[in-house]
Amino acid sequence: MKLENRAPEVTPSSADSAVDQPLARRFLPDGAAVKSGLTSAALYAICIAVALGLCALLVRVTGGDAGAVFSALLDGSFRSPGAWGLTVTTAVPLLAVASGTILCTRAGFTNIGQEGQLILGAAAFAYVATRLDAPGPILLTASLAAGVAMGMLWVGIAALMRFTRQVPEVISTLLLVFIAYQISNYALTERWLLLTDQPGSGTTNSGTPLPAGARLPTFTAFGNQVTIGVFLVLALTMAIAFLIARTTIGFRLRMLGMNARTARRAGVAPARYGGAAMLVSGATAGLAGGLWLSGGAAGDRFTAGISSNLGWQGLLVALLARDRALVAVPMALIFAALRTGSGFLAATGVERRIADVVQAMLVFALLTPPAIRSLQRRRAPKEASA
Amino acid sequence: MAPVPSIRLDGITKHYGPVVACDDVELVLWPGRIHGILGENGAGKSTLMKILTGLVHPDGGSISLRGRQVGIHDPQTAADFGIAMVHQHYSLVEQLTVWENVVLGERSRLSRHSARRRVAEIGERYGLDVDPDAKVTHLTAGQRQRVEIIKCLRREPSIILFDEPTSVLTPAESEQLFAVLRLVVIEEGRAVALVSHKLDEILHATDEVTIMRGGRVVGRMPTSEATPAGLAQAMVGRPVSLRSEAAALGLVDAVALEGEPAVDAPARPVVLSVRDAVVSGADGLRLLDGLNLDVHAGEVLGVAGVEGNGQRALADVLSSLLALDEGTIEVGGLTVPIGRAGAMAAAGVGVIPEDRHDSGCVLDLSVAENLALSDLGAVSRLGILDRRSMVERARQLMVAFDIQARSPEAPMRSLSGGNQQRVVLARELSARPKVLVAAQPTRGLDVGAIEYMGHRLRQAAADGVGVLLLSTELEEVLALADRICVIHRGRIIGEMSRAEATAERLGLLLGGVAA
Repeated sequence: MKLENRAPEVTPSSADSAVDQPLARRFLPDGAAVKSGLTSAALYAICIAVALGLCALLVRVTGGDAGAVFSALLDGSFRSPGAWGLTVTTAVPLLAVASGTILCTRAGFTNIGQEGQLILGAAAFAYVATRLDAPGPILLTASLAAGVAMGMLWVGIAALMRFTRQVPEVISTLLLVFIAYQISNYALTERWLLLTDQPGSGTTNSGTPLPAGARLPTFTAFGNQVTIGVFLVLALTMAIAFLIARTTIGFRLRMLGMNARTARRAGVAPARYGGAAMLVSGATAGLAGGLWLSGGAAGDRFTAGISSNLGWQGLLVALLARDRALVAVPMALIFAALRTGSGFLAATGVERRIADVVQAMLVFALLTPPAIRSLQRRRAPKEASA
Repeated sequence: MAPVPSIRLDGITKHYGPVVACDDVELVLWPGRIHGILGENGAGKSTLMKILTGLVHPDGGSISLRGRQVGIHDPQTAADFGIAMVHQHYSLVEQLTVWENVVLGERSRLSRHSARRRVAEIGERYGLDVDPDAKVTHLTAGQRQRVEIIKCLRREPSIILFDEPTSVLTPAESEQLFAVLRLVVIEEGRAVALVSHKLDEILHATDEVTIMRGGRVVGRMPTSEATPAGLAQAMVGRPVSLRSEAAALGLVDAVALEGEPAVDAPARPVVLSVRDAVVSGADGLRLLDGLNLDVHAGEVLGVAGVEGNGQRALADVLSSLLALDEGTIEVGGLTVPIGRAGAMAAAGVGVIPEDRHDSGCVLDLSVAENLALSDLGAVSRLGILDRRSMVERARQLMVAFDIQARSPEAPMRSLSGGNQQRVVLARELSARPKVLVAAQPTRGLDVGAIEYMGHRLRQAAADGVGVLLLSTELEEVLALADRICVIHRGRIIGEMSRAEATAERLGLLLGGVAA
């Protein structure tokens, strides 16, 4: 029994004029659209300014110099020699995680376990890369494939529980992250798994160094070394953007995400399409693990802290891109820049973790305008439909 | 002493942006009289009720209560003034018992004993028989309404507003409701407003009537002076044929007089055959309980029934949204894998669902996308969508079905209810179905749209489609169906041809009495 009367029908004229104005702006570039665009831009500017202002205040309060901090962040991410190459290399796994997440979210399923899928992906990559005796390209491909497969396997557990027993995937994917932590830590204590058998190399809990053949080739541009993984991941992102927007499969996935019952009637089986979407997001997270490990920025071997939150941050990238794959590209770069930039903070005498605060503030700043927009939009039709 | 009106509204105006919901509305309710408020969907009735109950604030105008000017600022003020409303969609908590629902929202201390006694007392006084300890889940729609009325009466309101009260009742239950209303009004001097879009109801149960159209009051008269034709014309704003539009206007008698030559159904092949269908709900109650029916090509089979007797489950099964526990379904002689996504649509079953927002369309997609969503193969090549052909196809369907939208790219959300319904109809019919299931297809539409829908369903039948019409509106079934059966508690309990059907006979069956 419904508690509330369903919104009554409105006459065509009233509906056209009142209800869809915010949406109409997307289609009609008239005065209202320009005004709306300006309002949006102003909203973003204000929010970002407020966030940066608060960060500066925080730095000041903790005894630092805000100018120096921002300058150090820029040095670390772009200005110092070789910095932007590192930033781009760091953006690669972030974008890989985000692109799969976007596909999955569009289909209406929430995978938030990319961190675990990424770690196990990296672990599988390391295992194959250090065991298989094969020439470079084959070794690399096989190792990456192992990472992908491992990511799919890990999310597949959640998908299986979701579609056979209705276990909410939000919870299961999250909890599987913690199991993944444990498994990767265990693997680092066993020689038959990942623990290095070269005595004296590195710390006790460290993996075998990767052979040269399992490293992604790099190219050098303007004195910066960049992994070629960047092309792979850009292609992947564009493919996912194309899939979502232009193909029948993408249409069906979107339909499933927007109205599962209508989709089901039209022949979209949730288990098949939703399950595939979840597997894709696990696959890209696993791929991200492999790309990160072989990209050169993560050291030469698998270690316990290999991910250091790349999975979570990739999820944030998807969130900030608001499920548009191509928007995830600049977002991934911003997050990567904050990561690499924070390495330079030590020189300013400010706590390195301030970068995390800046990052969190930016997330809020970038999510606030759309939230305000959607509130406005939701209010408008409600008012008009009485 | 000159009588004082219970409540008087003067010049009430309410705008929503550029939309005028109420324009200079005047309304007077007298103690001891039932006042009908008649109008189509969107005429401003709901807004007026919301103003009276404090949910919406008018932009202008004045309200005086027993001669004293007041402002109704919020629902609590309205309750303090003695204004109570029985909503069309009941606001009951299904997991609670009757007495718990009745005392819900009380601020004083709860006493189970006195609350139960009070429910029984009120029930006895007004003939609203209901068990105070029953769980609302187990009650029929009619019983739920009684609970709702008891809930309203226990606050001893002086003004009672009824919003479309008979939409979920059997004819017998409606009669009973009006008897209660008479008692409440005449014996106790309360004022009652009866909001409705059904002429029959207004003519039958009210003392005076106010007719609204487009937010304005377009007529006011004692009901004794009103004629069906006059009321209909005032409500719709153009002369209407009581015959062809009787169903839309809620005139059972006028429909029942009209006898169209029925299609000779049994001679045509069966296109949809449901055999021994059983579906159990989450709480173990059987939603469908051994239901059997056959739909022949070229006929409209009307399934009449009070809401909540399994119509929704039947429509869901025929939409591949629900699997049967037992039973089989054949379409065109072939058994359909029930419950597999898209299987019914692939077998040739089109559905106009009861709630189009739930399973009929995707509001966030465009009109063109909504028109194409079940037949993507026709607007794509090698798995890649062809926008141009999708839009082109949409343009054709928009013309053929007279869909009013700014462009094929306009979001579905921006369309009016009637136009959204046409999009669903256009998509389902353009798939050339063998069977078309129409579940409450005209709910919430205005007279013009209702008429259009009826015309299209008849047309589909004439083209050889087997049409299965599920409706709670007796008038609709009588006006459109060639053959009528009645659904009660998940099974078909009676079947007759259109020629044998009378409102009385159907009325008895709706209540579960085999006739």
